[in-house]
Amino acid sequence: MAKTKEKKIKAIVTKVGLDGHDRGAKVVVSLLKEAGMEVIYLGLFQTPETIIKAAIDEDVDVIGLSYLSGEHLIFTPLIVEEMKKNNFDDVLLVAGGTFPVEDIPLMEEMGIDRVFRAGSLTAEFVSFIKENVKR
Amino acid sequence: MYQEDKNCSDKEKSWDDYLKAYYEKPSSFKSWSGYDLKEIYTPDDVPKDKYQKDIGDAGQFPFTRGIHANMFRGRLWTKREVVGIGSPADTHARLKYLFENGGSGLNTIADVTYEMGLDPDHPKAINEVGLTGVNISSKKDMEILTKDIPLDKVSWSLITASTAAPVTMAQYIAVAQDRGFDPAVLRGSIQNDPIHFRYCGFRPACPLDLSVKLGSDVMEYCTKHMPKWYYTTVNMYDLREQGITAPQEVAFGFGIAMCYIEELLRRGLDIDDFAPRFTFYVSCHVDIFEEVAKIRAARRMWAKLLKEKYGAKTEKAMQFRFAVHTAGCSLLPQQPLNNIVRISYESLSAVLSGVQSLHCCSYDEPMCLPTEKGHLQALRTQQILAYETGVTNVADPLGGSYYVESLTDKMEEEVLKIMKQVEDLGGMKAAIETEWLDHVFEDEAVQRQKEIDNNEKLIVGVNIFTEGLEKETPLGVQRISPQSAKQQIEDVKELKRTRDMQKLTDAIKRLRDDVADDKNAIPGMIEATHAMGTTAELVGTVRKVFGYHYDPMEIIESPFNL
Repeated sequence: MAKTKEKKIKAIVTKVGLDGHDRGAKVVVSLLKEAGMEVIYLGLFQTPETIIKAAIDEDVDVIGLSYLSGEHLIFTPLIVEEMKKNNFDDVLLVAGGTFPVEDIPLMEEMGIDRVFRAGSLTAEFVSFIKENVKR
Repeated sequence: MYQEDKNCSDKEKSWDDYLKAYYEKPSSFKSWSGYDLKEIYTPDDVPKDKYQKDIGDAGQFPFTRGIHANMFRGRLWTKREVVGIGSPADTHARLKYLFENGGSGLNTIADVTYEMGLDPDHPKAINEVGLTGVNISSKKDMEILTKDIPLDKVSWSLITASTAAPVTMAQYIAVAQDRGFDPAVLRGSIQNDPIHFRYCGFRPACPLDLSVKLGSDVMEYCTKHMPKWYYTTVNMYDLREQGITAPQEVAFGFGIAMCYIEELLRRGLDIDDFAPRFTFYVSCHVDIFEEVAKIRAARRMWAKLLKEKYGAKTEKAMQFRFAVHTAGCSLLPQQPLNNIVRISYESLSAVLSGVQSLHCCSYDEPMCLPTEKGHLQALRTQQILAYETGVTNVADPLGGSYYVESLTDKMEEEVLKIMKQVEDLGGMKAAIETEWLDHVFEDEAVQRQKEIDNNEKLIVGVNIFTEGLEKETPLGVQRISPQSAKQQIEDVKELKRTRDMQKLTDAIKRLRDDVADDKNAIPGMIEATHAMGTTAELVGTVRKVFGYHYDPMEIIESPFNL
């Protein structure tokens, strides 16, 4: 990648809870790396606490959450609360997976900056991240 | 290259675009799995003596054309929609609804906590009880799930795949026994394929040695005591959902199946005794001809494998029996009603392939669990196929097509290549243990996304004919009742407070000793289930004998002082 002058965007991609559908998360990890970002994949069975701790330790710009089991409305508020508790809320928070369209505004209200559903193209989420990193 | 910004669906079209569309040609002449196809297939594409040597009539070895001579004239496929929502009572209600609307097979799927071998009161389980299936932690839950259903008459497919499958089997048998039925009368199947389930996020619950042990225990027990029961449905569907190709699906599915077969032979079982109850779960993706060719090839290859490699002598032992799950990963939340059309094509390919049992996804699969209306629509899709289209009249209607026969040969050739590759790695267990298979899945999945990104694969609503975000999910959204989840947690806590701890401890000791003595775990699990042992307690006890932490999440300890 040619963008050596710019600071590399650093991202965490993670699953939350017991949901094991990790095909999408792993694909996103590969594609973000190809787009020049530094990506840490936390893998399965993470909790709001382990995610935010890793995000702080690694000082990331982006947290990507993967939800495919209908758990998004349960875990999102817990993650956002954990971010606030640690004064770590200037990070870009994105989510990907399977959601009813009705839940997108709810997730955005809860604090997710952008929701990407199945069927999103790589260019869409890469450019969103590049244009919207907050730090 | 055709590209459209999804947020700008109101872009104006010019009449030049119309002309372009009028003269448009397909952009690719490859099958979904990437094989080049010719513009026409002729007699030259099928060897002359092929029919006698390698195809044969339906009902005849090697069963390329189907396992029964008359196929659907003898019996329609089982219309078996998967159900699993929240509590046993919630799931029971949906089961009844589908049955009342013409479903012909019961089919229930375990939730993520149950599959992981956790009780609902586990700290990692409490947020996700019933989200992805039915939550069952004890015989009491199984009683509620099966309430008023005549277990001696119905055919029930129990979808528990992980090392919790033997517990599901024990819970089902225990409830049947309480109602006075011998397990020998029970009819149905259990998924029981823990090896594959490590690729679905359940690795902590499915270490390889324990997967082979417990998976094979169910198979052995059912072979000896439950002659009408299909004791595994090796799940090549889930493997396909990882993003792999059609021949990879068959090759890896066969590889996993062979792990169980070799364990059962090692235990001294006769291939002709157990192989007739072996079944598969197959994906039907959206490329109709490739899926039909894949399944015809799989049927032929399985027959040859059982005969030549394992020395099976009876036809029943050589027959590839399968259920189909239409490809969930082919469905999209964009323009969601289009999914009904995708599912129709996919289920058509299943029926053209001679499927035994079919689950049509509901159109809302990429958004939420099926709503009642979504579920009914999926069942109606099956009924239209079965009763309106005429596809049931003739066995293997695509057989003899130069194209389909040639593509069937191609699938077989490709599957054999991959199986050889696995063999050269040291066999399926080595391919699993070295994580070679993980890398294949990851590479293929990235490849699939790139094919969509660069328009090699066109998908309506994704990279062509896109529209803005729809306003609502057309038939509503299925939610899981938080009350049901809370109740499941309370119920298991109450059960643990009130049961006879001495009786249970004795049963748990027996289970532990049986497993330590290399005996089959199922009789001990049935006894422990009658003594109100829970899913986590039964699985955890066996895990400890194998040297694993009692709790797959490594948080809680065994409550038993053994």
